[in-house]
Amino acid sequence: MRSIDRVFEQSSRSLAQRTSRRSVLAALGRVLTGAALLPLLPIDRSSRAAASEAAASALDNPQSCEYWKYCAIDGFLCSCCGGSSHSCPPGTAPSPITWIGTCHNPADARDYIVSYNDCCGKTSCGNCECNRNEHEKPMYRLSRNNDVNWCMANADSNYHCSVSVILGVAEP
Amino acid sequence: MRTELLSAALLCLLGCPLVRAAPPLPTEHLTVEKLGPAKAHWVYVVDEAFFNETDARVDLFDGDSYRRLGQIDAGFNPGVNLSPDGSTTVVATTYFARGGHGARTDVVEFTDNSTLSLTGEIVLPPKRANTLPTYFNLAYSADSHFLYVAYVTPASSFGVLDPAKKTVLDEIDTAGCVLVIPSGPNRVSSLCESGRMLTVTLDADGHEASRALSEPFFDADTDPVFVQGVASKDGYLFLSFLGQVHEVDFSAPQPVFRAPWSIVTSAEKGHWRPGGQTVAALHRGLGRLYVPMHRGGEGSHKSGGTEIWVFDLKTHERLARWPLSAHKLAAVIAIQVSQDDAPIVFAATEKSDVAVFDALTGQLKHIEKQLGQTSWFFLNP
Repeated sequence: MRSIDRVFEQSSRSLAQRTSRRSVLAALGRVLTGAALLPLLPIDRSSRAAASEAAASALDNPQSCEYWKYCAIDGFLCSCCGGSSHSCPPGTAPSPITWIGTCHNPADARDYIVSYNDCCGKTSCGNCECNRNEHEKPMYRLSRNNDVNWCMANADSNYHCSVSVILGVAEP
Repeated sequence: MRTELLSAALLCLLGCPLVRAAPPLPTEHLTVEKLGPAKAHWVYVVDEAFFNETDARVDLFDGDSYRRLGQIDAGFNPGVNLSPDGSTTVVATTYFARGGHGARTDVVEFTDNSTLSLTGEIVLPPKRANTLPTYFNLAYSADSHFLYVAYVTPASSFGVLDPAKKTVLDEIDTAGCVLVIPSGPNRVSSLCESGRMLTVTLDADGHEASRALSEPFFDADTDPVFVQGVASKDGYLFLSFLGQVHEVDFSAPQPVFRAPWSIVTSAEKGHWRPGGQTVAALHRGLGRLYVPMHRGGEGSHKSGGTEIWVFDLKTHERLARWPLSAHKLAAVIAIQVSQDDAPIVFAATEKSDVAVFDALTGQLKHIEKQLGQTSWFFLNP
């Protein structure tokens, strides 16, 4: 099972390396705009429609690394470990300290401030590894760093998985 | 059944005398393998074991025979380094009393590299920086008199240890600056958010004697440096996200920052970038710098290289580009080079395959499949 996960992880990483999220959206936007301008010819568009839906659903799927709220998350997605994008799995404890990022939600075109908390007290979930780094900074800027174990100050400081919790809309 | 018995009897008539004539195998004695003298092409591969992170380990690998020679246990999210003479591996790690949970013990463990046996430990306050492996999570002073360990709680400080007496000597606050960059017998520098470097000088007992803050040498907003510095002849060099090389001379009481230079042309800048977990390696004698490079934009600084670029440290000339796709290698996220006269480059991919190249020609010599689970860092003397 893990090997299957890793194949998907590698392919999504590879995709993420080649394309930024915004470039995917821009390309998708061009495709959709272009499609509206083209005359409706009697050809089968179902494959293109399926691809567009797949891209859109990845951006909107909390179990996908491409989910918009995960723009700088690093670790295992709690939504694949018994939690959700903003809740820890049963029996784990949220980290009280965390770091803060800003992610763009394409659905409402707003930027949101999110807090990347870790869920702690059990060993690695090991499912849905995701490493994205928009505006992430090295460790000397700790409040923008996703390399450290944010369970560090928990009574049980073992790292299990990561969430992304909306704190509010980022003021322009 | 009768047919099978007949067949067996017939086989025995033909073959049994021959089997009986062969001498029996000698008896065996269970022993423990000895390593023998260290070789220039040995490398310590730090496997974070991220998918079951309490079980990190260091594999000792021979870049000539392509064999694993042994293993050092490394606990949870460890920092790992070698003593200056290469005789000892130190692992700063955390253990939980009940395996994945329970009371936390932070500890530095010492391993004799000639036997791979534990020789001692120093228990730390529960403050050890839990982060990716770099040369600066824990590090010896140049004379091996002190051992320094980075702390983050998230307040930042470092511990000063006595590796001979196996004691903690002091904890020194670093005012938000992080990691332990050792220089000389008694100096520790740390990287600061302001782009400066804090340097603390210790007295003979390991306590703070003085401190100084440098002028900024990089801009953390526009072009931050990776914290994974690379040892040079007189200090360390730090690459930036956009490919600037900041060479820092640590031979004087305070660090001296040379004029930065770029590994990318103006046309390549922002499009080709260094990245990964260990972003460069340097052959100090030859002055050759090896950097995994990828095409990418902002946020791609953890992406592995699709090519390895080779530079002359003195002339800044790019000597070669080694495309990795020709070898069907995944992106390279960690790199190291042996320091001998016939050097080899070790390159770990996202899949934890380790490729071995001739460091002078770029010729691929070997791919070791799955050397560890998430191998992100190499150490060699």
